[in-house]
Amino acid sequence: MSATVPFHRVNVLTGIKSARMIEDAGEYAKLIKRAKRPLLVLGPLLVKGSLNGRFLIEYAFEIAKSASIPICATGHVKVKMMEAGVKPDSEYDVVEIINALKDPDWMGVKKEGNHDLVIFFGIRSDFAEQGLSVLKHFAPHLKTMTLCKFYFPHANYSLPNIKKDEQWKEFLEALISNLRG
Amino acid sequence: MAELKEIRKRLEEIEKLIKAEIAWEPVGPTPMPEVPALRNWDMRLLKTYAPWYAPFCDLCCLCTFGKCDLTEDRRGACGIDIATQQARMVLLACLIGCSCHTAHGAHILEYLIEKHGPDKKIDLGRGIEVEAPHIRTVIGLKPETLSDLKIAIEYVYKEITHLLDSVHTGQEGSYLDYESKALHAGMLDHVGMEAADIAQIVGFNYPTSVAETPLVGLGWGAIDKTKPVILVVGHNPVTSTALIDYLRANNLYDKVEVGGICCTALETTRYSDRAKVVGPLSRQLFFLRTGIPDVIMTDEQCIRTDMPIEASKAGSALIATLDKAMYGLPDATEMATEEIVKQMVGEKKHFAILEPAKAAEVAVKVAMEIAPQRKKEWLSEEEAKGLAERCNDCGMCERVCPNLFSIGDGIIEVAKGNFDLIREQFRRCIGCGKCEEECPREVPIFKIMQTAASKESWKIRAGRGPIMDTEIRNVGASITLGTIPGVVAFVGCSNYPDIEDLAEMVEEFAKRKYIVVVSGCAAMVAGMKKDADGKTIYEKYPPDFDGGGIVNVGSCVANSHITGAAIKVVNIFAKLPLRGNYEVVADHTLNRLGACGVAWGAYSQKAAAIGTGCNRLGIPVILGPHSSKYRRLYLSRKEEGDWRVMDARTKEVVDTGEPAPEHLTYVCETKEKAMVMIAKLCIRRNDTPQGRAIKLNHYISLYKKYMGGGLPEDLHLFVRRDADLPIVYKKEARVYLQEIGWKPKEPVGLPTLIGTYPSKVSVDSVI
Repeated sequence: MSATVPFHRVNVLTGIKSARMIEDAGEYAKLIKRAKRPLLVLGPLLVKGSLNGRFLIEYAFEIAKSASIPICATGHVKVKMMEAGVKPDSEYDVVEIINALKDPDWMGVKKEGNHDLVIFFGIRSDFAEQGLSVLKHFAPHLKTMTLCKFYFPHANYSLPNIKKDEQWKEFLEALISNLRG
Repeated sequence: MAELKEIRKRLEEIEKLIKAEIAWEPVGPTPMPEVPALRNWDMRLLKTYAPWYAPFCDLCCLCTFGKCDLTEDRRGACGIDIATQQARMVLLACLIGCSCHTAHGAHILEYLIEKHGPDKKIDLGRGIEVEAPHIRTVIGLKPETLSDLKIAIEYVYKEITHLLDSVHTGQEGSYLDYESKALHAGMLDHVGMEAADIAQIVGFNYPTSVAETPLVGLGWGAIDKTKPVILVVGHNPVTSTALIDYLRANNLYDKVEVGGICCTALETTRYSDRAKVVGPLSRQLFFLRTGIPDVIMTDEQCIRTDMPIEASKAGSALIATLDKAMYGLPDATEMATEEIVKQMVGEKKHFAILEPAKAAEVAVKVAMEIAPQRKKEWLSEEEAKGLAERCNDCGMCERVCPNLFSIGDGIIEVAKGNFDLIREQFRRCIGCGKCEEECPREVPIFKIMQTAASKESWKIRAGRGPIMDTEIRNVGASITLGTIPGVVAFVGCSNYPDIEDLAEMVEEFAKRKYIVVVSGCAAMVAGMKKDADGKTIYEKYPPDFDGGGIVNVGSCVANSHITGAAIKVVNIFAKLPLRGNYEVVADHTLNRLGACGVAWGAYSQKAAAIGTGCNRLGIPVILGPHSSKYRRLYLSRKEEGDWRVMDARTKEVVDTGEPAPEHLTYVCETKEKAMVMIAKLCIRRNDTPQGRAIKLNHYISLYKKYMGGGLPEDLHLFVRRDADLPIVYKKEARVYLQEIGWKPKEPVGLPTLIGTYPSKVSVDSVI
């Protein structure tokens, strides 16, 4: 059990099964590449968020493109995607996609079978933690991963709490580069 | 045999209690229902709207067997699994909420019966004949006097005990049965709320049978600080009404300012339109720390538990007036008034005074004595800048903020002389005070916020209580057929992501000619925004229960009038009997009445109970993102769900394939998504083609406005025939429907779930 405390203290884990904290983008990329049917779930924090002048959603697009991962747009993310000329592969709100993912027989957003790795990016941390908790307890058939700059204890794989945006940017760029390689 | 005898005896008892001999309606199948009576209805709902659990924690910590780890299919030492444990916690939350409302009702009733006698007639005015839709439907009683309300309260008390019993270690072992019990608690909650508000209206002579209630002052800017200021906080108006009486009787009505926070504020303005609503729960700590209140009077629920500390810090005097929250203060109820005043003024002591008239007298006397010493000035920008300079941007405030924003960034900007960011942050602040508590440099954040807080005041319409029967007659057909696109109730607490969300959402739906109903903290927050002409929604939209109207029903307990309006539609428009007939009423609401609740800032257990009560009655509820911490939603899987209904006319089961409504409890992360979902959740299977076209018009246009264009991916599920398509989008929708191979289907004439699951109720009862 990790003693890491999530950045937002409202998300402190009161339990025994917490996420593996990974700082190495190469390791993250390997986990993604190993997955047969990964899914990238994008949240509304990407609509306005930016990292050193570049919109966060652009990193998301590159990650999806680099590893051919389908995108699920939640909240009002589709607005930003359409502005950028990218059509999401599916639209479900966070609770809806999680509800579908819980069912091992669900056919997934591509109708090819349920996903085995779900990557969350841009969802407010308390809400994301609650959603990840659902999957941790009720979807043992899949793994979960986060790309936000906070530690998410209910995920399977999480970044640590990253203090500087520069470090986060480096991680995301290295991840994209590793996924391409 | 013994069992049959027992049942018969129980029935006789019920018939006596509900005065079955008075034949205003035949007694239905479930008067005074106990838990199993409506279990089949619950199970039918839960089949389509399955519980979705988001555990806060992996453990069960309720007994001394544990803590028990419930991860990975483990069971606790008592045998419980994680889903059942979550359902148990939800039931507990609903019971807490239900107890609060019902005990509030009982307290008010006790006070008013003492004041007016048990035979005081229930008269809600000429516009209201169906005086107690919940009590009629659930209990089977038509209450005529205050003492009849006691029968309702005692029934709820008894049921609460049974339900609470079931959460004991080693009891219920099914999450579905716990959910059925939570739904039962939710239903009881509406009975308790209704009894409480009827008692208040009758006993305090609140306005009723009138839509145009007074517009009253809202915001701390509305408080006249030149007068002694008394702040009432909580949910129970017994003392605040006594306070107004005292001021009126002693010719002090113009000389002392009375303001309130939370529901007591709304209740007080129903009694006196000179009282002010300072604001919702989120402004409680902020306002306390301004030092403006000379005397604080607390009653119950949603009051800060550190009130004596906060009062002392600000130099305010505190009187606790109800036994629910006495803060360890000395009980001065029996002490001489002058002695209490002397000690409060001279020695800065706080007291509990449980006799309303005495508490009121003390409050006024203390306020008048200490007001001249009060420091009434707000912090200047220069002073705030100086205090903010202590911040070293360590980020601890952000880490503990439940709304996840960095107040430190705002404070740093204040130190630079820029107040823009903190103004924006103040809008998002839910007022918990954790940031200030955590600050290692003890930066007085709430004090600094004074410079960010707008000093303007707004107007809110005083709560009006029940919806009039005449209004129901006017709109019943339009709601049921769908030509009024829906009834949207914005209710709940102030745990919102942004204070402006509510005003925006309320206005969006009022403009679209939905019937908009508001209550509690949500009603206050909705009024805290002005348009370019300086007008709030209460000044811009009519107060009628009609398309395009905005109705403030009142406080938390007045939420019963919102669900009560749904029941009235069933009774007055559809002419279905109410008496002990809950299942039919709920079925009608679910299938034919386009209503949707929005608790955007829900935080309390009371909100959990209210929402769950709406669900049992067939009304879906949308929550804001914080509410994922309630841990349970009721969600369907629209493609895979069971959408079969009985056509009551043909007696055939039809698979509609139509998720209407799609969910029963749903959490949204953004207001944009919430608005699209509200329009969708107002769709019902009974909509006429014209009504459906109107509802789809709003669903599509909101989707286009907030979701980035195109058509909703699930549009085909809601289109039965070409006539359902809104004219504006007909061409585009036809192309889309053709692309995906949509096939038309016949609408169901009289859709009902009754007949699709085991029930005592026959299909003919819904006609």
